[in-house]
Amino acid sequence: MRKILAIAGKELYIFFRDRNLILLSFATPLVLSTIIGLAFGGVGGSDSPEFAEIAVAVVNLDEGVDVQESIGLPDQLTDAGSLPFDPAEVALPFGDSQVTLASLLESGSALNFGDQVAGILLSQPIGNVDTAGGAGLDFGEVECRLLGDGEGEESATFAAGGTLDDLLDASQVADPDLARAGVDSGEYAAAVIIPPDFSRGMLPRLLLDDEGRVRAELGDPAGTVEVYGNNGRPISARVVHAIAAGIVNQFVRVSVALSAAVETSANFVLDNIDLGAVDFSNLDLSGVDLPAALASLQGLDASALEPLFCLITPGASNITVSRQPLDALQEAPTFARLIVPIGASQAVFFALFTGVFGIHSIYEERRNWTLQRMIVSPTPRFYLLVGKVAGNLVTVLLQILILMAALTVVATIVIGETAMIWGTNGGAILAVAAALALCVSGVGVFLVGLARTPEQVVLFGPMINIGLAVLGGAFGFSLPEQAAQFSLIYWGVDAFTKLASGQTDIALNLLVLAAQGLILYFVGMWLFKRRLDL
Amino acid sequence: METIVEAQNLRKTYRRADGSSIEAVKGVNLAIRRGEIFSLLGPNGAGKTTTISMISGLVTPTEGDAVIRGHSITKQPMAAKRLMGFVPQEIALYPDLSARHNLLFFGRMYGLGGRSLSRRVDELLAFMELHERRNDRVDTFSGGMKRRVNIAVGLLHKPQLIYMDEPTVGIDPQSRRRILDTVKQLRDEDGMTVLYTTHLMEEAQELSDRVGIMDHGEIIAMGTQSELTQQVGEEDRLEFTVVGAVAEGTPARIQDEVSLVTRVLYDAPEPAGDGSGEPVTGRLTVFAEQGRTALPLIIQALHSAGLEVQSVAVREPDLEAVFLALTGRELRD
Repeated sequence: MRKILAIAGKELYIFFRDRNLILLSFATPLVLSTIIGLAFGGVGGSDSPEFAEIAVAVVNLDEGVDVQESIGLPDQLTDAGSLPFDPAEVALPFGDSQVTLASLLESGSALNFGDQVAGILLSQPIGNVDTAGGAGLDFGEVECRLLGDGEGEESATFAAGGTLDDLLDASQVADPDLARAGVDSGEYAAAVIIPPDFSRGMLPRLLLDDEGRVRAELGDPAGTVEVYGNNGRPISARVVHAIAAGIVNQFVRVSVALSAAVETSANFVLDNIDLGAVDFSNLDLSGVDLPAALASLQGLDASALEPLFCLITPGASNITVSRQPLDALQEAPTFARLIVPIGASQAVFFALFTGVFGIHSIYEERRNWTLQRMIVSPTPRFYLLVGKVAGNLVTVLLQILILMAALTVVATIVIGETAMIWGTNGGAILAVAAALALCVSGVGVFLVGLARTPEQVVLFGPMINIGLAVLGGAFGFSLPEQAAQFSLIYWGVDAFTKLASGQTDIALNLLVLAAQGLILYFVGMWLFKRRLDL
Repeated sequence: METIVEAQNLRKTYRRADGSSIEAVKGVNLAIRRGEIFSLLGPNGAGKTTTISMISGLVTPTEGDAVIRGHSITKQPMAAKRLMGFVPQEIALYPDLSARHNLLFFGRMYGLGGRSLSRRVDELLAFMELHERRNDRVDTFSGGMKRRVNIAVGLLHKPQLIYMDEPTVGIDPQSRRRILDTVKQLRDEDGMTVLYTTHLMEEAQELSDRVGIMDHGEIIAMGTQSELTQQVGEEDRLEFTVVGAVAEGTPARIQDEVSLVTRVLYDAPEPAGDGSGEPVTGRLTVFAEQGRTALPLIIQALHSAGLEVQSVAVREPDLEAVFLALTGRELRD
């Protein structure tokens, strides 16, 4: 074992002492990647990244709420027959829309704000007629914004005119644990989980105080919606969080507005009746001129209730993201996103040369007689073989890791802040690098083992390396995925890109690389044995 | 005296690309005694390196075996290899590494390590007078210094037996002298057995206790120098360079005219016609008893034959003469 380590150590030592080799193996891919990254990604972190659709899991657990029960109106009020007027003829002051009191007071009418939030996120038409069409409202002209006027104004430059449908790839998931697991595995960037009491907490409760005045008490909806984000995809998670927060904030506003409107309306009505004639223990509204009182509601400012429209209109899914604050997007400039696939492919491409020519050095050792000198020593030839390829494997691994570290430094300098461009999953990064090194070194062992002469290695080695690089997209253009999958560069770059974006589903990549590497290694070693026969 | 190496019917046949085969070594038998310097002397291509490669386990014999202190090189290679050191003809060192790093690396290949290896490396660097340059890269060394490091590697594990394959090739006389002294020192002070190959008769004469003369893959003579020279008698060898074409009957005529002459060999000159105007010269090798006495008589006979003597050298019996006598060719041929 010590002899194997000595041979492997010698390989490493010779590699890292050769200045020209270092220049070729490290500086060249580093400079190339940086130039390409800068050319297409620019300097600094102020550029606007383009987002692909962000995968979001939407879990709606909201059980909804019964309006009558929740608001706590006296039973008599909901009994239309006992009213001294026809509720169908009483119009409420919601702009030009004809909302009747009857439609709102209809017995058993339920609200489910969770459905509304989920529908918005899922970009689906809202199908709950109880809270929309049933009221006879027409809010097609209403624009519902995620953020209020003035919020994020100074930094609002992102994707004007985009819609949620463009931004999110939302899926409905029934089980919150399943959604969280999907986030953990990288399937989703975030999960929005709407709790069972979301609607209940949203609606105000009406109370009568000692002086007979109506008081609306707000629920506490803020913070009840959970956005479970993937730490490896902080930008996407923050975008989803911002959108969800924007939507929930609208509901909070509506809740406040609704409370104020109902409180004002109720007290307005009470102000127009003779409270002395009212028996609160046995409420009888027969003497009250309700039509006159309700007619006076027309004088209320309808704009105060406008946000409510966004909750109950099917058109609410047309929410724009024109006010998405930029600061949530600055952490992933184009350079950082480009340098990962470019840098990874360049690192692997140059490592392929180390793999081939590191093993090819057996010919040089033979010419220099250092191989013969080792053979004459009491060292089994198998040890020489294992030591040689192990040294090559470790050299390739170190080359890839050092290049990745150097690219991280370059990205940090270019962006101007610490940039963990490869993601934060150190174990997975190391595993991919190790599988790649095995595969790269395996290509070298196989090629040198297969070639009949050193000249054949010199001729065909670079050709095969360049072929693998072209297939794997290392030269800036991509071939169809079916073709690219024949290259180990494709699998390596794909794995690194996934890890950089916080995903963890790299098992297939690891499997392909490791299997490919092992097969190449074993076949190559078997062929390579011949090189030690003198 | 104990035999430390015994080669039995060693043969090596190589196959050519065209399917034919060439027999590089044709059944070599030899026995090397403990503590002696045994030289394999022969021209380039005689099979010396192939023989030493088989005995050292570098090349597998097509037939036969070599036994190193009871360990067969083909059946117990690791045990046999532990007993031997190897100094190849080539500078078998890593040029990018320092002398010290080279020695440390190859020391580990012999199972050495730790402080004992470090001490041994320093000891050898001092022995080879390379201590000052120990941390310099080998590719910055002169040819002689590289040769000394090359030898030091073979001595790392203090072997009982060391194979040296033409270790003085391509170096200046001063470095060569130092190496030859080192080889003698190894035998005289450390009791090491040395198997030494060379195509230089002077080296073999100076170093060897016994010599095996190889030609065309075979050992054609083996023994001490005196044993070998006795095979060709006590004749002196007189080498003449003459101007003019030597007639066909001239060698026989010289042998007849000078009674002390026993044999005359003639190397025909290169054909003239190169337009250089240089006179045609040829070489005559004359074997004679009491060469110095016969010399004026031979010169007179050459004059009589119309030949002008350009130079003459008188050599007493040596290995060169033995080789010449056995093969009809000189070693340098």
